[in-house]
Amino acid sequence: MPIPTVQLSGLCKRFGAVEAVSDVSFDVYPGEIFGLLGPNGAGKTTTIRMMLDIFRPDRGEVRLFGKKLDAAAKNRIGYMPEERGLYRDLKLEPTLVYLATLKGMSESAARVQLADWLKRLDLYEHRQKKTQDLSRGMQQKAQLIATLLHAPDLIVVDEPFANLDPVNTRVALEILEEQRAAGKAIIMSTHLMYQVEAMCNRIALIDKGRTVLYGEVDRIKRDFATHAILVEGQGDFTGLPGVLDVRQENSHWRLSLLPGAEPQTVFRALAGRDGVKIDRFELAEPSLDDIFVAVVQRPGGQAGPAAAADTQPLGQVPVGSSNRAS
Amino acid sequence: MGKLWLVARQEYWGRVRQRSFLVGTLSILAIIAVIMGITAIIVIGGRDDRPLGYVDRAGLFAAQPGPAADGPELRAFADEAVAREALAAGVIQAFYVLPEDYLSRREVALFYGKDKPGEGVRGAFDDALRGSLAQRTLAASALAGVQQRLIEGTQVTLRSLDGRRQIDPSSIVDALLPFLAGFLFIMATISSSGYLLQALTAEKENRTAEVMITTLTPLQLVGGKSLGLMAVSLTQLAIWVAVALAAIAVGGRYFPELSGLHVSPGLIGVILLFFLPAYALIAGLMTAIGAIMPDQQQSQQIAGLLNMMFFVPYFLAAVLFANPNGPLAVALTLFPTTAFTAISVRWGMTTIPTWQLAASWIILVVSAAFSVVFAAQIFRMGMLTYGQRLDARSIRAALGGRGS
Repeated sequence: MPIPTVQLSGLCKRFGAVEAVSDVSFDVYPGEIFGLLGPNGAGKTTTIRMMLDIFRPDRGEVRLFGKKLDAAAKNRIGYMPEERGLYRDLKLEPTLVYLATLKGMSESAARVQLADWLKRLDLYEHRQKKTQDLSRGMQQKAQLIATLLHAPDLIVVDEPFANLDPVNTRVALEILEEQRAAGKAIIMSTHLMYQVEAMCNRIALIDKGRTVLYGEVDRIKRDFATHAILVEGQGDFTGLPGVLDVRQENSHWRLSLLPGAEPQTVFRALAGRDGVKIDRFELAEPSLDDIFVAVVQRPGGQAGPAAAADTQPLGQVPVGSSNRAS
Repeated sequence: MGKLWLVARQEYWGRVRQRSFLVGTLSILAIIAVIMGITAIIVIGGRDDRPLGYVDRAGLFAAQPGPAADGPELRAFADEAVAREALAAGVIQAFYVLPEDYLSRREVALFYGKDKPGEGVRGAFDDALRGSLAQRTLAASALAGVQQRLIEGTQVTLRSLDGRRQIDPSSIVDALLPFLAGFLFIMATISSSGYLLQALTAEKENRTAEVMITTLTPLQLVGGKSLGLMAVSLTQLAIWVAVALAAIAVGGRYFPELSGLHVSPGLIGVILLFFLPAYALIAGLMTAIGAIMPDQQQSQQIAGLLNMMFFVPYFLAAVLFANPNGPLAVALTLFPTTAFTAISVRWGMTTIPTWQLAASWIILVVSAAFSVVFAAQIFRMGMLTYGQRLDARSIRAALGGRGS
């Protein structure tokens, strides 16, 4: 197991009477895209700001690259915050070169790398334009370049696909995938759950300042799966052993199981029936979107069957399946 | 290159290349040029080089006096009628008549055409007359140089007891110089702190603050901007001073008082000692304002009021000139925002006691340190509060170390 790029443990932060973050812990490893999720005001941004030393935590510890954040480590971070922009009255190319030199890159190297990035993101022809003369989508791409130009080892992006059209969203996705493949640790905060499902290896869901879900996406979805089976095919799906209820939903059948019933028992029963053709048989997993809503709408905001990842420290997240989301 | 210097360089060139910098710098030069031009036109255009006549019935001028150094030729006429003819013909610009009983009545008559001769022309005749009288009175005197001293009149030089300064009639411009130097430097301070305020609120408005804060320490960000923008103001100041020196060199031909201008080492020392802490004080306050206020417009309203605090001694200059050692002058010297300007106003008028200078400097430095620390405490939280003013509770939280 490599050393985590990011280690947050027990972070707490209070602003006056408001407890913005009360207990947040997670690790992020090189070569993964980590989803940091949560409703508005949950404490995601405060957590990121503590991680990046913008705010000092009241309690808890932040370690980046295996140690406390120092000036050298800051140069290894690429950060694209939610509230972001560029100097409106400056030209694009000198602005991006300036930002890269602040991250420790030489001016000449920055210019060479920048030309490649600008060409890739179709901004090369606009490099001498003032930022204020670029469209919002162009500005968004320019901010992505500013985040990545100095080749950071830790990339923190907050809503990275905002203002991007589908074509540029795909380009941005490709770029993030490339960065992951290159071994960079990526933390992505977004409300687009389908993007999280598609891209993230692991997630942490923060609600009311606490980590309420943490672990691998697949494991979390399995643990939140309702006790049901989705079957697609032809034939009679009623009267099966262990099945409580059968409902047709669009092109598939939803088979709700009795407590203690095993899906394998149902599968064997179906396979033994004449006139039944099965095209698809799977556990009814909820989408991440459903899990998100279920968890944050739960009274008290505590986690359901969170998949406490088997390898991660997770003090505050309940483990087990006795408290399932519904 | 360190990050602080990168920020300073970016701010310097970013500002100097802006059209507003060129316009601001050149407009001041244009104003100076216009004033100089108008003055030159008045001085040169209004100058009458025709001879000045005189009719010496009293027989005071033993010989024809030579032309004064900066005056017209003096031409003797045998009688008033001839002089009138010369005046009517425009050969002379005016003529004096010294009556026979001048020595008892001390009265002369001046005849001129349309325009009365200028003060310089009349002064030249007065000098010539005084010289003749002195020559006549002290012709037999054995005291060498007494005649010349009589012509020149009294010249009193005031010296302070500790010998730190002296004032004589020829140093009136020197007395005003500290006032002007202080004004120029405080203008540079105010303008660069104004630039700093703009630069910080621009970071906020452009939404670049958060990225900058994760890249730079507050010292690198605010310090770099402060240095760069101070360099901008000093560049502007250097251009103005260079042009002013050129103007003095040219103007010295017409105004002899300007040619003997010199700056005392004490004044330079005081400016150097007080300038940086004064800038640190106002830069810290501007940083705090930039952090607290949501946008440039609101920031500049507050900054305008703050700037007034630095100019109070100039508003009260008449009072300070009249009583440069009074309680008000001392109070303004000791108060941190007015210390630099109060000293510059008083410097040419009095000898400021050393204890006041020392106490003023210490108070200023301590205040500047508080200002910078205060700004640093609320800087991060303020810069991340977009579109709204930092409220009192947040400021208290930040000062308590919880926000940063």
